[in-house]
Amino acid sequence: MLIARLHRIILLIEDSLLVLLLTLMILLSTAQILLRNLFDSGISWGDPALRLMVLWVALLGAMVATRDNNHININILSYFLSEKNQARVQRVTDLFASIVCGLIAWHATSLVIMEKQDGTIAFASFPTWMGESIIPIGFGVIALRFLLSSLTGNNPR
Amino acid sequence: MILIGLLLLLLALLGAPLFTIIGASAMLGFSHSEIDLSVVAIEFYRIAEMPVLLAIPLFTFAGYLLSESNAPKRLVRITIAFLGWMPAGLAVVSLLACAFFTAFTGASGVTIVALGALLYPALMQAGYKDNFSLGLVTTSGSLGLLFAPALPLILYAVIAQQLGIGGQITVDAMFIAGILPGLLMLAMLIGWSVWSSRHQPLQKFNWLEAKTALREAIWELPLPFMVLGGIYSGYFALSEAAAVTALYVLIVEVLILREISLRKLPGVMRQSMILVGGILVILGLSLASTNYLIDAEIPSKLFGFIKELISDKLTFLILLNVFLLILGTMLDIFSALVLIVPLLLPVAIGYGIDPVHLGIIFLANMQIGYFTPPVGMNLFIASYRFKKPVIQLYRAALPWFFILFTAVLVITYWPGLSLILLK
Repeated sequence: MLIARLHRIILLIEDSLLVLLLTLMILLSTAQILLRNLFDSGISWGDPALRLMVLWVALLGAMVATRDNNHININILSYFLSEKNQARVQRVTDLFASIVCGLIAWHATSLVIMEKQDGTIAFASFPTWMGESIIPIGFGVIALRFLLSSLTGNNPR
Repeated sequence: MILIGLLLLLLALLGAPLFTIIGASAMLGFSHSEIDLSVVAIEFYRIAEMPVLLAIPLFTFAGYLLSESNAPKRLVRITIAFLGWMPAGLAVVSLLACAFFTAFTGASGVTIVALGALLYPALMQAGYKDNFSLGLVTTSGSLGLLFAPALPLILYAVIAQQLGIGGQITVDAMFIAGILPGLLMLAMLIGWSVWSSRHQPLQKFNWLEAKTALREAIWELPLPFMVLGGIYSGYFALSEAAAVTALYVLIVEVLILREISLRKLPGVMRQSMILVGGILVILGLSLASTNYLIDAEIPSKLFGFIKELISDKLTFLILLNVFLLILGTMLDIFSALVLIVPLLLPVAIGYGIDPVHLGIIFLANMQIGYFTPPVGMNLFIASYRFKKPVIQLYRAALPWFFILFTAVLVITYWPGLSLILLK
């Protein structure tokens, strides 16, 4: 029960973060335009922050897409399979997806650790490694979701 | 290596998410050349280094919001009021409204669902034949892909820039190059509509209706001028135009017209960002796989191989058309762009094809791939949406397919059409 509740909270955070980031992106980017045109100025960290938000939105969106079983795929052959076999095939493709995402998350983690040791700054006083950290987190969560879906045979919501 | 490649292909055809296939091939390639695999993450991080990508979430959100509001209804009403009096007026209206809408929403089946659902019953009511109406609505679902600010045009420029060959291929250049080919397609379809429904009775122009429709759509009317005017005049950078559009649509639909409640808004945002996430993970991982391809000099090897088989540009273009047509029925436009352009562009440049022209050829082919029988995606969407057998849609879409196929041939073999406005 506790786990189920925790899981729900995590999903809520994920959705809220996605909505929040998009809202911030709209506001910050229009604010930049106003500042530039009216006052000939702008927020110096605004543009790099916006670009970083695109990365975060990309991964959060992909995480949610995994939840909804909504990734872009080709999926021609499985039309010819029975429903039962389709489910079996999806277990295999989900396992494959999980391994790939897990590997990416693993190697992204080592990148983030390296970056943290280097101590580079992305903008203002925001360290690069923090911005990058969404890559291992995102692919890690996606890997877990595919793994769960592969093991249980149904898409976890 | 070949065995693993075939295995990946099989997994892709069985429905494994495309980004995982791309990620896997990138990692296999890099580990084969003994490069540390954290390079995949480094490449993926470049999503945060391309300013133009900001336009993708913003435009996608604006498009979703518009399609969830009553804007499609108003768009149809105002175009009927102003153009309905022409011969085949309603058919022309449908084509124009769909082209406009697709340019904004990026051709992901949204047009058929949002506009087709309004236009199809209207066409039937006005006495157009069933198959004509079905074919028109299905075809229109991907019309407008060559007009700014359609996402595929942006994405092509982004991918081509990554390759670093063939000079500067900017988003602006793609926007300008798409105008005449897009208009050609539109004109040919309008011509066919007028001819095939020449027995339709004409409607009178109604001043009152025009005035009401105009007043109703008053908030959305500035939108095309803002976006297109802003981009083409160079006043706005692309991402700025996207930001202004997103904020404007948000204010109009949520705060002024209140057609999307604040409670519904997060759902629309979430839905649109799922599509954005889907596209951008594919793009991010393909940055890595493209990097590997270039490192391993695969495009130039491919060109050497093809050059042995095909000596002249014309044969290459013919085969290109066939290849892209088949590709377009199997892959959606975004994955096709990301997967094929890095391989295709260097080869095409080798045959002396202008990279901007290639982009237009590519997208024009993809556009008709959407409704090429038997597996074009929009045929299924339309069949599902209008509850008609797919077979009937094959027949309904066929004349439209041949017309646009002719347009694609013209676009392919007449580079000037795409390039003349750039000079």
